[in-house]
Parts: sequence; C-alpha cells; structure tokens
Amino acid sequence: MIEAVHIGKSFYLSPEKKGRFASVRTLFSREQREVKAVDDISFSVGEGEFVGYIGPNGAGKSTTIKMLSGILHPSRGEIRIGGYSPQKDRIQVASRIGVVFGQRTQLWWDLPVKDSFEILQAMYKIDSRTYRRSMELYQELLDMREFLDTPVRKLSLGQRMRADLAAALLHDPPVLFLDEPTIGLDVVAKTSIRAFLKEVNETQKKTILLTTHDMDDIEQLCKRIIVINHGKKMMDTTLDDMRRQIGLPSLIQVEYRQPPSLGAELAGIERLELSGNVLSVHFDKGKISSPRILAEVAGWGEPLDIQMKEPGIEEIIRLMYR
Amino acid sequence: MLMLYRKLIAASLRSQMQYKMNFITSAATTGMIMVLDFVILSAILHRFNDVAGWNIYEVGMLYGISSASVSLYRLFAPEVNDFEKYVVHGEFDQMLIRPVSPLLLLLTRNLDLSRIGGIVQGVAVLVLSLAGLAREGADLLWLIVFSPIAILSGGVIYFSMALSSAALSFWTHQMRDILTFTIYAPANASNYPISLYPGWLKWLFFTALPIAYMNYLPMLALLGKGGGWYYPLLAPVAAATALFLALTFWKIGIRHYHSTGS
Repeated sequence: MIEAVHIGKSFYLSPEKKGRFASVRTLFSREQREVKAVDDISFSVGEGEFVGYIGPNGAGKSTTIKMLSGILHPSRGEIRIGGYSPQKDRIQVASRIGVVFGQRTQLWWDLPVKDSFEILQAMYKIDSRTYRRSMELYQELLDMREFLDTPVRKLSLGQRMRADLAAALLHDPPVLFLDEPTIGLDVVAKTSIRAFLKEVNETQKKTILLTTHDMDDIEQLCKRIIVINHGKKMMDTTLDDMRRQIGLPSLIQVEYRQPPSLGAELAGIERLELSGNVLSVHFDKGKISSPRILAEVAGWGEPLDIQMKEPGIEEIIRLMYR
Repeated sequence: MLMLYRKLIAASLRSQMQYKMNFITSAATTGMIMVLDFVILSAILHRFNDVAGWNIYEVGMLYGISSASVSLYRLFAPEVNDFEKYVVHGEFDQMLIRPVSPLLLLLTRNLDLSRIGGIVQGVAVLVLSLAGLAREGADLLWLIVFSPIAILSGGVIYFSMALSSAALSFWTHQMRDILTFTIYAPANASNYPISLYPGWLKWLFFTALPIAYMNYLPMLALLGKGGGWYYPLLAPVAAATALFLALTFWKIGIRHYHSTGS
C-alpha cells in the first residue's frame, strides 16, 4: 500500500542576508549548506497495517509524511501509494489518502464544523449517499453531534482533533497519515481518539502510518514500529520485538517524610536510586506492574508524594544505542 | 470546477463576514487611498497638460485601464499577493493534499472586495476620458469595444507577474521586495506612456514585465498615434502568453516547496 524506496530529502540553507533587497541577494547567494532531513530510507507497509513512525524531534518524521502525501518532492528515491506516485500523480494519490496534522487543522477556521464537511464533499466529489453514511458513522464513533454547528475556532483541542479525523476519513481513503494526532490532548481525549483509530484500522482495514511522541499511542495501537533518527532508519520491527530488545523502561519517584528503609528487591526492578528522601525506582513495565511497586514502596516509609514517568521517545533511542 | 470555486469563495466570504468591522474599515481606507491617488494624478496632469505628446484624456485612457486592471487582479488574487506567509509558515501544505489544483485553493481563500472601489475609480476615469476625447471629435467605437478587453488582459498580465513572483518565493521565502519590482513599480509606470522611459526600462516593459501590451501599444493604434492596426490584438495574446509562462514557472516552483519543520 505504501512503498518508499531509498527516499531522501535535502534542504539547502544559505545564510539569510539582511538589509535592502535581502531576498534578491539571498537568491543569488552561492554559499549553501546541505542538510539531509531524510537520508536513504526504505520501507513498505501492507494493507491494513498500523505502523508507528517514531523518532526524536527533527529526526525527519514530518518530512517523510510530507513526501508520502505529496507535499514535498523527494530529492532522491521513489514513492508509491497504492501504485501511484504522490509527485507525478498527486491528484490520484490525494483522493486515496487522508492526512491529519495534529499541530494544524485542515478545517475552515471561522466556519461551523458542518460547513467544512460540505466543502470537502464537493472537493472530493463524494456522492450524497456515501456522504450521509460516512457522516452518520463518524458522528456516532467520534461523538460529534454536539459541536457540528460550532465554528472550528471555538472547539476544544479534543473536539477539533475528532473533527479533523472525520474530515480526513470522509472520502473513505484506504490510507491514513497521522502526524502527532494526540499532541496536547488530555487523557480522556487521547483515549477516545485511540479507540477510534483502533476501530477504523480493524473494521475498515485502513492502512495507517502514525507519528507520535507518546509511547502509549504506540503501545496501544501499533503492531509495527519504524524508528528513525537524524534522517536515517534505525529499526523496523514489531512492538513485541522491541520490547524484548530494550524493554519498556519506566520510572517511579517517591518522596518520603524521612529517609526510607529499603526492603528486598523485586524481580523486574532494574535499579534503585536514593538521594536524600527521594527514591527513584527504574523498572520494566513489561515485567512488573506499577501497582505492585507502589504497594511495595509504600511500606518502606511514609510517602509524601509519588510521581510516575513514562519513557519518552528520546529515552528509547538512547537505550537503543546502549 | 466552477461549482467548487463558487462554494469555496462563498465559504471564504462567510469567514470574512465574521469580522465585519475589519472588513468595513479596510474597504473604507482602500477607497480613500484610491481617491487621493486620483486627485494627485489629475493635479499633475492639469499642471502639465501634456505628457510626451499625450494630452490629459489620452493619459486618462492609459491610467483608467491600468488602474482597473491592477484592482481586478487584487480583487481576485489577494492571497497570491500575500503568498509569502503560505511559504514561510508552511500553510501551503494543506493545499497540496487535496485532489484539486493548489492554485484554485489559494485563489478561493479570499476575495479582496475593497478593491471593487479601485475598479469603479478606473472605469470612472475611462468614462471621463472618453467623454473628453468625444468633445475633441475622436471616434469612440473601437475605444469602447477595446476597453473591457484591455482591463481583462491587464488583470491577467498583473496576475501572471504576481504569480511568477509568488513562485520565486518557493526559493527566496520572501516576495515583498520582489513585488516592488514586479507589481507596484510597473503599475505606476503604466499610468503614463511607455515612450517616457529610458531604453532598458522600455525593453523590460515589453518583455519580462509586459505592461506595455495592455494599454500603451493598443492606445497608440486606437488614438491614431502610429503603429499597426493589430496592436490592440496584442493585449490578449500577451496576457495568454504571460499566463502560460507564469503557470509553468509556478509548477516548477511547487517542486521546490520546503514546508516547515513538524
């Protein structure tokens, strides 16, 4: 469904000129520096797969998605979406993909949500029967009825994201590109978006490529993970396999009233660090659950405060180098 | 295509109307600037009475066509004029993921209705000049037939020059400086006979910035100032050529669109 063969994207930066006619002088400037945002990445995603495309900030995730969806032209390599090139057959590809950028809405900012859907219907030439059916389905699944008549700018972030997802799916594309769809959302909103994506992937067999910074998104949705860093592919594997390789490192920090007296170590706890009254417990979520650890550490003293830290993508990348 | 254009324009206008005060004030200021512009020009013309052998009504023909043309372009393509922001902020992204032409999406983002004032003003100058020419005993038929063609061709020529400048911003990421050369300066220059200008500038106005074809050349023939009978026909031909070249350049530019990080 998605084929990327040795794709690369370079940007050429010339130092910006200042002063009069800066743009003209920048244009004719000869000093240029090549930056490889994406460097020789290949992968292939089959129909109905749900793939997490992860990496630290600036790794080239968005650049890849933008090349796959026809926004950017790759400097090197070939892309096929359902057999079509997003660059040569941009319009064919555009009608076969749905794209959501978490940071930026695709909807008409000042108009009621419903108006955006009607415009998209005309744009994608969706016949009225399909349109009605899709609208009913997504109103139900995404619980959109209450805000269909609200202007987009007045929606909460969670509502806006749900509306954006429905808009991306309205023309029933077989492929979905989601760039940080849960960014900035609260736990409740994240949960409902995840449930929806799971449903769409399982019942409609949509092929989904997802970028995220949230390891929970990955754990709950993606069976396969592609990790990139500095524009290069570092890992292309299943979630289970990654678990086996680096585990699921988590951290609980407990602050006690008095320095605690540590008990016996539990299996699955990797490391205990004590500094003053604060105890850091490094453990593998795959081997021991956090409630069990909490039950244990509560007996070691009188806890004042407990904080849980999930591993970020940066942490995962660091572990892969270990 | 036309239906989609209407639907998208309607949506943009509905959005604009959400900010009514803003819309009214911008229409009022644009109108006032236009009136001031015209008052200054007539003052100059009354002082000199004659520019490079063209009398006040003849210059009025040039001015009316140029002024209405540039307003026509700015009415329909305000976002082309303001394209820099789409490139700098990566807003052009969302126009490339739709199964329709990104240019159509760009043009339908906005209509600058306050420019209607400029068109009215340009046409008013044309009517006054025609009346003046009639008093001098000129034959008006072809001038009247040609005026709408000239305004349309001029609008397309301005649009093409602006679109090329917008395409250039795919590389430069800036277009304000460029527009000074490609729109604002030519729009001022075309208010007067091109023969006024030094050779290299004249050459520029017949080639890269082809404003000479929309009013100067046709008026040479129609006002009996010499030149071939076919000069008026060059206006639509030049407009079509400029549009074709601009669209080609625009398509090449899109391939170099960089977007922004994340």
